[in-house]
Amino acid sequence: MSELTAGETKYLRKKLGRKPSAFELDVVSAEWSEHCSYKSSKKLIRKFPNRSKFVIPGLASDAALLDIGLGYVLAIHIESHNHPSAVEPYGGSATGVGGVIRDILSLGARPIALLNALRFYPLDNANKRYSQSSRWLLRNVTKGIADYGNCIGVPTVGGEVEFDRGFSNYCLVDVAAIGISKREKIIRNRSNKRDIVFLVGGATGRDGIHGSSFASKKLSGEDRSAVQIPDPFTEKLLIEAVLEAVDRGCVNAMKDLGGGGLSCCLSEISETISKGLEVDLSKVHVKEDGMSPSEIILSESQERMLVITSQTNQAYLTEILSKYNLSYSNIGSVIEGKNLVIKYAGDVIMNLPSELICRAPLIDRDTIPPESKSEDRNLYFRERPSDLYKSILKVLANPNIASKKWIYEQFDHEVGIRTVLKPGTADSSVLRLENGKYLAVKLDGNSKQCDLDPYHGTMCILSEVCRNIISTGGKPLAIIDHLQFGSPENAHIFWAFKQSVRAIINYCEFMRLPVVGGKVSFYNENNLGPIKHSPVIGSIGLIDRSEWIMMPRFGSEESIFIIGNTKDEMGGSEFYETTGRAGNGKVPIVDLNDDMRNAKAVLRLIREDVVSSLHDCSKGGLAITLCEMAMRGGNNFQVDLDKIPNSCSSISNLLFSETPSRYILSTNKRKRLNTMLSAISGLEFSEIGMTTNNGSESFLHHSKLNSPVILTQKNITDSYENLGTIMERTPVD
Amino acid sequence: MNTNTSKSRFIVLVNIENKPYVSDPEGETILRDLIMEEGYSVVESVRTAKSLKMIVRAKNPKQAEKMVMKICEKLRIFNPIISSCTVNVVKSLP
Repeated sequence: MSELTAGETKYLRKKLGRKPSAFELDVVSAEWSEHCSYKSSKKLIRKFPNRSKFVIPGLASDAALLDIGLGYVLAIHIESHNHPSAVEPYGGSATGVGGVIRDILSLGARPIALLNALRFYPLDNANKRYSQSSRWLLRNVTKGIADYGNCIGVPTVGGEVEFDRGFSNYCLVDVAAIGISKREKIIRNRSNKRDIVFLVGGATGRDGIHGSSFASKKLSGEDRSAVQIPDPFTEKLLIEAVLEAVDRGCVNAMKDLGGGGLSCCLSEISETISKGLEVDLSKVHVKEDGMSPSEIILSESQERMLVITSQTNQAYLTEILSKYNLSYSNIGSVIEGKNLVIKYAGDVIMNLPSELICRAPLIDRDTIPPESKSEDRNLYFRERPSDLYKSILKVLANPNIASKKWIYEQFDHEVGIRTVLKPGTADSSVLRLENGKYLAVKLDGNSKQCDLDPYHGTMCILSEVCRNIISTGGKPLAIIDHLQFGSPENAHIFWAFKQSVRAIINYCEFMRLPVVGGKVSFYNENNLGPIKHSPVIGSIGLIDRSEWIMMPRFGSEESIFIIGNTKDEMGGSEFYETTGRAGNGKVPIVDLNDDMRNAKAVLRLIREDVVSSLHDCSKGGLAITLCEMAMRGGNNFQVDLDKIPNSCSSISNLLFSETPSRYILSTNKRKRLNTMLSAISGLEFSEIGMTTNNGSESFLHHSKLNSPVILTQKNITDSYENLGTIMERTPVD
Repeated sequence: MNTNTSKSRFIVLVNIENKPYVSDPEGETILRDLIMEEGYSVVESVRTAKSLKMIVRAKNPKQAEKMVMKICEKLRIFNPIISSCTVNVVKSLP
């Protein structure tokens, strides 16, 4: 089954000087699929800045490596499993977790944490059929991630969830993994002639054949052939066996098997080690008899790794694998040259340069800007205290804002005893590291803003993810990205993709943040059309001392400060979404200078020990930020909205605008904090109120309101638990 | 679906298992690490499945099977993408 375009077929024939065989065509078309080759995106994402003093260059292929000091390195990677999860949410999401874990493992690092970013259709919406399907997807995706992560003993420490009408009958499942290792244990992928090639782990079967081609097409009707079944117990054995082999020095090169199966794995590792490989497919341990060479080389059976070892270490490796009861087969060896030689039962059936297989001809896609989707106008909204009160509760109850407890409570987030800040407690998750430091990590996305304006929407995500790291006390070290779009063949979509890439380059160059890893996923479409543009950005940061770890919870009798200006930026906001105004307003614009100035100021305050609690102000706006800090601290607030630095045309915009670069903090050292902030030129900040514990009410005052907006702990908490309420009301879908 | 007027009762067995080309790690593990380990070489393959036993009221066995199948499909008791589902009346009740 060839998936090559006419142009690619011609290019291949010219390179070969003859007609390719059916087998060669199968191998090449798997590797040249969009999913494996990045043929549409490679030229653009090459421009990402990728250097910093922390980044270890030139080693990583499957995941990025960061030097975190005292001889330790971190590995980080992000993957998605959107197509498989949309048709089989349990198996699809679980095998997604397995895949990203093996990416970390292939560097020789021990996986220590998982995060996920999930996107679904609204759970409780006018379209009953779509919502029902969405609840079924959410239930099973959550269970798939939970079961797999819990079985292999890697904690799921955090994530992000968005619900939007753009995801009818579809879902996005992104999983990121973090690993840790000693620097000297990292696999260098250096190999010599006559080294032995082992295929380790699960047997190869007919499951998931053509999965990568499947992921490079739109979902339609019954064209749903690629389904993979998770086997977390085999994965756990694989992790332990591989790490023991790494520890005993019997791994020269290693790679996981993912999309494209052996065909992609063999050609890519051959290119990485700059040597040829000779492999006999009849030696692969298979699940069923009668598999053709094409089926064996294209199979995407899960829980498999390719390990290259020396002749001398071969016995040690097989001894370790046997100890863990893992199946393996010796499938070939490293040879002189740079060709991939594939045999079947001794006969050569393919002999091609690895480079030819690995490097698909790149494509320059057309881009056409679409007509603007958003009308830049402000809408009238009635602003009596009772209206504002109702709006605040409504936005809090919106599942995009509401507590994600129903989801993360199904995950084991503490196994491994290094989780310091668990999901739901702070803006990012914090883990204890072996070198005495702490790691803050977060994923973020915002398809509502990106759909209206892909450039500024992506900027907002970048700013938010960095603010989330900073708000737990971390200094952002690096960025990972996962760009999820519809078909790149659509010029409007490819235009949006380019805008998103441009935003990442501009933000990261300005902030001097390296982009250390990422993934591009195109063809995210269902029968109704493409999804909303959904880049997901991740960031990791280091916190040097435990005293610098911050949480967003008000104490009592503390002064509340805001840093940053609030503007009329309602485009893609949860307030407009909740009140039926989606598609109106201007998407917030990140002012890079403000963003950096505010971030630096906040980090300085933390290090000077003047901050009691800290929260970034983003989705839902200021009102939501204050409520969240009140709920988490169990205390209340009295805020004078007139004191907030702003250029808003209405009180509702002031409360719900999602202007970036803002932080809310509380302190019991208000004088010192005031002096410190006043010394920073150009910084906009003000003291806006006090936290209180007396009584059970919070107050928002404004000179234009004849009475304050009054919120009780019970009201806001009940609204905030709405996601769980929805899922429990409909126990079976 | 109004079936309250039907007089007959049937035991219907629903069997849900992965389609033949979809792997079954549980069955494979039982075969490899239990059956083969203990030397029962006559066993070639093990497939696990989920089964539901329902007592339903219907006019006749055929209608009972049809109705149960419909319920299983509608409520997504199995995912047709990976599983096959068979429905059989195993007994008529008085």
